[in-house]
Amino acid sequence: MQTTASPSLTAVQQAASARTPGPIRPYGRYLYLALNIAILIFLLAPIAIVVVFALNPTPFIQFPPVGVSLRWFEKFFASRDFMHALGFSLEVAVLTTLSATVLGASAALALARGNLPGTRLIVATMLSPLMLPAILTGLALFQTYVLLDVGRPTWGLVAGHTLVTLPYVVRTTLAVLHNFDTRLEEAAQNLGASPVRTFFEVTLPLIKPGVLAGAIFAFIVSFDQFPVSLFLVSPGNETLPVTLFNYLKFDLDGTIGAASVVSIVLAFVVVIGLDRTVGLRSYVKL
Amino acid sequence: MSNAATTRPNGLALFILPSALLFALFFFLPIGLMALMSVLTGNPVVMPKVAFTTRHYGRMIGDPYYLEVIWTTIRIGLVTTLVALAIGYPLAHWMARIKSRTGHALLLMAVLAPMLTGIVVRTFAWMTLLSDKGVVNQTLISLGLIAQPLKLMYTETGIVVGLVHIYVPFMVLTLTGVIGRIDERLEQAAENLGASPLRAFLEVTLPLSLPGILAGSLLVFALAISAYVTPILLGGFQIMTLPILIYQQISANFNVGFAAALGIVLLVISLLLVIAYNRALGLVSGQRELQ
Repeated sequence: MQTTASPSLTAVQQAASARTPGPIRPYGRYLYLALNIAILIFLLAPIAIVVVFALNPTPFIQFPPVGVSLRWFEKFFASRDFMHALGFSLEVAVLTTLSATVLGASAALALARGNLPGTRLIVATMLSPLMLPAILTGLALFQTYVLLDVGRPTWGLVAGHTLVTLPYVVRTTLAVLHNFDTRLEEAAQNLGASPVRTFFEVTLPLIKPGVLAGAIFAFIVSFDQFPVSLFLVSPGNETLPVTLFNYLKFDLDGTIGAASVVSIVLAFVVVIGLDRTVGLRSYVKL
Repeated sequence: MSNAATTRPNGLALFILPSALLFALFFFLPIGLMALMSVLTGNPVVMPKVAFTTRHYGRMIGDPYYLEVIWTTIRIGLVTTLVALAIGYPLAHWMARIKSRTGHALLLMAVLAPMLTGIVVRTFAWMTLLSDKGVVNQTLISLGLIAQPLKLMYTETGIVVGLVHIYVPFMVLTLTGVIGRIDERLEQAAENLGASPLRAFLEVTLPLSLPGILAGSLLVFALAISAYVTPILLGGFQIMTLPILIYQQISANFNVGFAAALGIVLLVISLLLVIAYNRALGLVSGQRELQ
């Protein structure tokens, strides 16, 4: 049997010759499900625990919880530092989403329709901030701003966030553009529409789901972004993750739990919105 | 891109320019400057006399402490990757093979939920679970299984647990795509011919999913070695990794040159991983073309 290169064929032939019946089948099935449920618990339990501690009234981490109170939420919403950080994070996330969406969607359009040479290399470059350590993006930008003596402006932070969120928009928009019938655009132009009108009345509505999905990813990634922000925020003007991190270094009380619940709820609202409007499944392929 | 070579760029190609400018100014220029700073004796803006030097790299190679830091970073990355693979594979397999649409949507939500919870929040969750008075120790003590709390936090184990939780969704999503492309009939054929489900899996599905295993592992490894929050909070400032050292050089020592040299080392490791990752994904699509 020297010609059997495929592992599947080898298995089939060995199985055929051995003829082992499968008496362990039901047990194996239960084991498989039990293992997977254990893994799901590992994934989800920490998130549930955060909610428990956000509601537990004791001033330190205590388990099992002794009651339910909203005091940590009150403390979070009454804290000027946290509220300022939340507002600043939202501001940065909105600006980042706008710039990443406009830049990313235009780049995707150019890559899919512009007959650019070296498209593969350009796409790989534009997706590279996803895999290169974000802490390096932060460090390199920090050094550049120091060398150019521009201080730590908000636009510098937004530029850093745009760099790490742009890949999401490029990817989701390219995915839609590749599945899209170019004859629709040709038909519009044959019927006398100008290229500009074709773009706004045919192309844009058709790629909207991809652009929207990318925009929502950009918002969430920017809102939760830590390593780039760590280098680029100025004291007194920090994003929520940086404020939470600095708080966590010294305190471990329910305020962090409450802040966490607020950001989790925000992310979930955004994702459920995404699922309702465009459907998640086709956009989460890595 | 054979058709791109024969046709000329059209007007739409201009839409690439804003992004190209962003990458030139905020990505290539900064990384170039970082490379430059790593071989300079000081900041050329404030110091008029700067010279080229290899001392930052020499310091790294000459001092066993820095080599130990690099090795700790790689070791934590390797263990995280292996555990993430062991945990991620069964879940990815279930997601790829589940028949019910609702079931698939629920699993997808379960995998995405941790991804959409910020890194700082998830690290906080693991601090409440692993600390001396945390959930795990309190539960074990109240059950009478242990008398003294186990030292779970401020250890490499604690860091690995936190990192696995944060990066396992990337492994699951990469693997699900690859396993989903393997024709289920191959497994069924093996089982019809008498192989147990386990044997059919080990000899059919597992070998065919190797490129996905490779791609997912490289991705998780690249993410794990560049993590900052989780190692610093779960390691309690006691375990030093490359990203922690880089930030410390900036924030406490103001040694921009040495930080840049450390950054270049991390960049080279990551670039090699990115190239390998793209190769691995190329294997996946190559396999699909063969089918």
